[in-house]
Amino acid sequence: MSTMTINGRVAPLPDDLDAMLIDVVRSDLGLTGTKLVCGAGVCGACTVLVDGAPVASCLMPARAAADKAVTTVEGIGASGLHPVQKAFMAHDALQCGFCTPGFVVEAAAFHDRWRAAKGNATPSREEIGAALSGHLCRCGAYDGIFSAVAAACTGQFDGGDIIPPRVEARDKVTGAAKYTVDIHHDGQLEGVILRSQIAHGKIGELDFAPALALPGVGAAISLLAEDRIVRFVGQPIAAVAAKDRKTALAAISAIKLSIERLPAAIGLDEARKPGAPVVFEKADRKKAGNVSEGGGAPAPWKGNVRGPSAAFSRKPKQVRSWVEGARAAKDPLLVEGVFRTGTQSHSCLEPHASVAHFEGDRLTVHASTQSVFHLMEQIAKRYKLDHDKVRVIADHVGGGFGSKASLGVETTTAIELARAAKAPVRVAYDRHEELSVTGYRPATEVKLALLPSEQGELKALSLTAYADTGAATNSTIAALARLIYPAQAKELADFDVISNLPPGAAFRGPGGPPMSFAVEQAIDEAALRMKVDPIELRKRWDNDPNRRRLYDWALGLDVWRHRTSPELQSGRYRRGVGVATGYWLYLWQPGSKVEVSVKGGRLIASTATQDIGTGSRTVIANTVAREFGLEPHEVEVRIGDSKLPEGPGSGGSRTTASVVPPTLLAIQKLKAAIETNAKRKPAPGSNAPWREMLAASPDLTATSVRPEDSKPTAPGVESPLKQVGILGWIFGFMMRRMSNLAIGAGVPSSVQVIEVEVDTWLGHVRVLNVHTGIAVGKVAAPALARSQAAGSVIQGIGYALYEAREIDERSGETLSGGLEDYRIPGIADTPAIDVHFDEAGFDHVLGGSVGIGEVATVPTSPAVANAIHNAIGIRLRELPIRPDRLIAALKGRAAA
Amino acid sequence: MNPPGMTASPEFRAAGTDISERRRSGVSKGPLMDIVPAADILGMQWGADGTLRIGAYTSIAAIAADSAIAAAYPGIAASAQGLATPQIRHLATLGGNLAQRSRCWYFRNPHIACLKKGGTDCPARGGNHLYHVAFDLGPCIAPHPSTMAAALLAYDATVITYTRSGLSIPQVLGDGSNGAADNALQPGEMIRGIELPKALQGERAFYKRAISRSYAEWPLVEVCARAVVKDGTFQFIRLAAGGIAPVPLRLKTVEAALQGKAANALNIEVAAKFASSGARPLPMTGYKLDLLEGVVRDLLEKLAV
Repeated sequence: MSTMTINGRVAPLPDDLDAMLIDVVRSDLGLTGTKLVCGAGVCGACTVLVDGAPVASCLMPARAAADKAVTTVEGIGASGLHPVQKAFMAHDALQCGFCTPGFVVEAAAFHDRWRAAKGNATPSREEIGAALSGHLCRCGAYDGIFSAVAAACTGQFDGGDIIPPRVEARDKVTGAAKYTVDIHHDGQLEGVILRSQIAHGKIGELDFAPALALPGVGAAISLLAEDRIVRFVGQPIAAVAAKDRKTALAAISAIKLSIERLPAAIGLDEARKPGAPVVFEKADRKKAGNVSEGGGAPAPWKGNVRGPSAAFSRKPKQVRSWVEGARAAKDPLLVEGVFRTGTQSHSCLEPHASVAHFEGDRLTVHASTQSVFHLMEQIAKRYKLDHDKVRVIADHVGGGFGSKASLGVETTTAIELARAAKAPVRVAYDRHEELSVTGYRPATEVKLALLPSEQGELKALSLTAYADTGAATNSTIAALARLIYPAQAKELADFDVISNLPPGAAFRGPGGPPMSFAVEQAIDEAALRMKVDPIELRKRWDNDPNRRRLYDWALGLDVWRHRTSPELQSGRYRRGVGVATGYWLYLWQPGSKVEVSVKGGRLIASTATQDIGTGSRTVIANTVAREFGLEPHEVEVRIGDSKLPEGPGSGGSRTTASVVPPTLLAIQKLKAAIETNAKRKPAPGSNAPWREMLAASPDLTATSVRPEDSKPTAPGVESPLKQVGILGWIFGFMMRRMSNLAIGAGVPSSVQVIEVEVDTWLGHVRVLNVHTGIAVGKVAAPALARSQAAGSVIQGIGYALYEAREIDERSGETLSGGLEDYRIPGIADTPAIDVHFDEAGFDHVLGGSVGIGEVATVPTSPAVANAIHNAIGIRLRELPIRPDRLIAALKGRAAA
Repeated sequence: MNPPGMTASPEFRAAGTDISERRRSGVSKGPLMDIVPAADILGMQWGADGTLRIGAYTSIAAIAADSAIAAAYPGIAASAQGLATPQIRHLATLGGNLAQRSRCWYFRNPHIACLKKGGTDCPARGGNHLYHVAFDLGPCIAPHPSTMAAALLAYDATVITYTRSGLSIPQVLGDGSNGAADNALQPGEMIRGIELPKALQGERAFYKRAISRSYAEWPLVEVCARAVVKDGTFQFIRLAAGGIAPVPLRLKTVEAALQGKAANALNIEVAAKFASSGARPLPMTGYKLDLLEGVVRDLLEKLAV
């Protein structure tokens, strides 16, 4: 048996030819800082040093490490934090933290090399980008990573420890943070799901005997519904729990089953054809997934097309008649077009994962979830268990973006396997599963007409949106155009096109980016034809007070004022500047509770919310610390556990606005209680009165529930639904009733100004710089809000330029099931990002803060497209704007 | 080479950066044989005549970082620097780069049959072939993935195996007519190393790939270009392209158009258009010809400076 030295200790290596180094590191040695993400050497999350060189441990055979020295992230900071680790903490170069250990290992190696060769010189962005080009971060923490690595190389972090703005950053840079995939109970089995390889069919009998006969197999269960129908490639059929993944994989391939193949309709075009096979017959429609954040309203549903959902229209017939009239009259101001967007996969770096563990009648589920509390409720309901018998835990969550909002198959499978096997079971999706069956932002086709009046006002707007929702419904795209840019008349119709593809899911501002991609380009086009500055035109047409302040900020930007025009450019490289606007609803979750207590002189804030990388832990810590005059790290925040007081989900940008107000109320109560119980007042003139009071306080607790907001007094601040009258009121009522989401007054808004450079020879677009102006009220955690704003832009750039799920249209197989074919932005694709926060507009919310997560990504893709138009004079109407499409547009051809 | 899973003869494994992923996904099964990194397949040996032999087990990172290679064969060094990611380059070997298997997303999907997995036809041809060939030379339309092969082709390198020597890149990789294989090595034949002829007096070389992002992406199109420009004319010009055909291709029409011609912008622009000579694009890959022209023009302009 051969051995390696790992973090200074000798460890044995297995003889198994197929054991990879990462298997030994994570499973045999329990060094879970090293993460498995892509399994293909693309993402770098598994990076370790072998004899000092960073390598992909997911591809390196374990036996190749014989006699070598291996260093994992746990070894990097073993004797005091590495300067790179401190720099990552100080510069908030992380969000969910799942990619962080890989980045830290690579960056530490780069730092050490750099310092040895160049002393304290500052590496350029290009040098850092090249060195870290083998790493991917889905949250888009790249901006912080650039500054962190540069600062560490100059020696700035050679000295003592630092206190990070993100309270859990230390655990994330050292690899100590435990995610669901890292949980390991004694006797834990690994669960693997057998999935359909056909797009539509009926499954006959399942014979588990050959699977159960294999040594090490603990359970096999069916995952089929009563109708035994599978409606997409990847739909779960059965699952097996076994002592390890290899055995479980062998077991699922041993399951015998018969399949009756049914005709399938795959994708937007096939499913809409007359006579296309129907995916959901009437009785089965409840089986369809949901691509929005809330429940949907009833809509007509014929064959595979559900819609129109057109309740948000206003005088639609008037729109049609005006548009037809303008078309007949060849009105040059009538802007028409069809805009298409690609299918965007959430691509969370931590896959969907659950570990279920029964102890007697108590069930504990560790889950990678956006909602520990709601997930507990859903599990309890589904399995008829009392709430106090189910506990959901998520200390750290490696990204969600909407795809981990509710009870998923990974969790039900882990629970059912654990029950059947009488052992703890982990289910963790592999990358192909993650990129095929966990949801996506549906591709869309949006037909648009926009008609200004002779006076230059917005007269009519028409949007008809078809969304490629797969085995899901409830897409809301066109309707969102009602809540911005008031017009005399609007015709807004949404259609779901259901097909034999995996179901879409809510994804960061669902419906917002495709709506914005169409509308914001149309406005840009109208401005050009009207010979009006595009920002000025938006100011004219948009009466929202938050955005009007952002327009003024944008008008003052040098990059905007000095932009050129396509006619003035020639040559290979051309530059352009574009603008776009986005908004999202301000949502909060009624019933959210926060408990603040003092225990042994220490402040503890608790609520059953979770931190998926957005910074909710820090938001709470900052809020409590500010009120008591302490530092955030002096406050202990307990989240990620459904046993804590009911907390909000992390979706709909709701967390900050749901937790800050009750935290403030609980603080008020606690302060009163501390004062009442105080034996003596703080010393007169003390500069830390509460510190003294807390130190002397008996243990006390106060809990508050999220209060209703006060009535907004600032002009124009109202619920965006007001524009829709009684229907808006009903919509708001239903959201609250069915989805436990309140829609508040005031509109979170973003205006982005983006500069690009287009390489006309290679069809390549480089985003040079982004100015993102954001109005979400008072910023509760400034460094983290900045990180999230920058990350939103980076994800938006992915949507604009690179990302598209690709499928095989005959079989319904996902082809882009790996991170080499599903292309998320890398660090070197990151532009310079200037974040401007306008902190007004939400004074009616206790604490003045609302969420940022969604609004900040909505306008990026149209701003990029408008910038490309400004560079080359061609409007790209289909996302992503890949080289093939850009080249075709430049050559005047239709893209394939 | 035998299609994995089809035969009992073992598949060789060097660093495993390709094979590990295939075995994890289930695309490749069957016996495996680890290559022992013996001294004769490791590192570089310079001949007294200015030739260079590089052992097959030499890592891509070692080739990328070698200053003597960068001086004599800058196209080899730049190609090695430009492929994959730092963490892959530290592991991956030159021999493995040449003998790696296709990146086609149908081939890499364990649930889809294809020519390279013992199937009877190519599912990409009538399917989604956005990233496939623009020179349709055989039944399989996956582009050859080896960046080093294109560079070695540009340098007229020869390959030594344990049974043969002096093999040209076309002899090693074939002409694309065998859709079942990614190379033309005999069963059980293993690459020992490559030999590079002496560099030409005054030659320069560049490498470039067209991709959608900045780094770490399989090339849509890649070209390694060498030239000797003397007295303002192309005395020698050599271009080899990858990402466009089942095997790396010499762009001979471009070479012919420039040989002996003035190295000016006009000649370059005209010659670059010849890059697509002989192309047979698929319905979704016509764009690759534009990219090829662009990459060629980019490189020629750099060479002409």
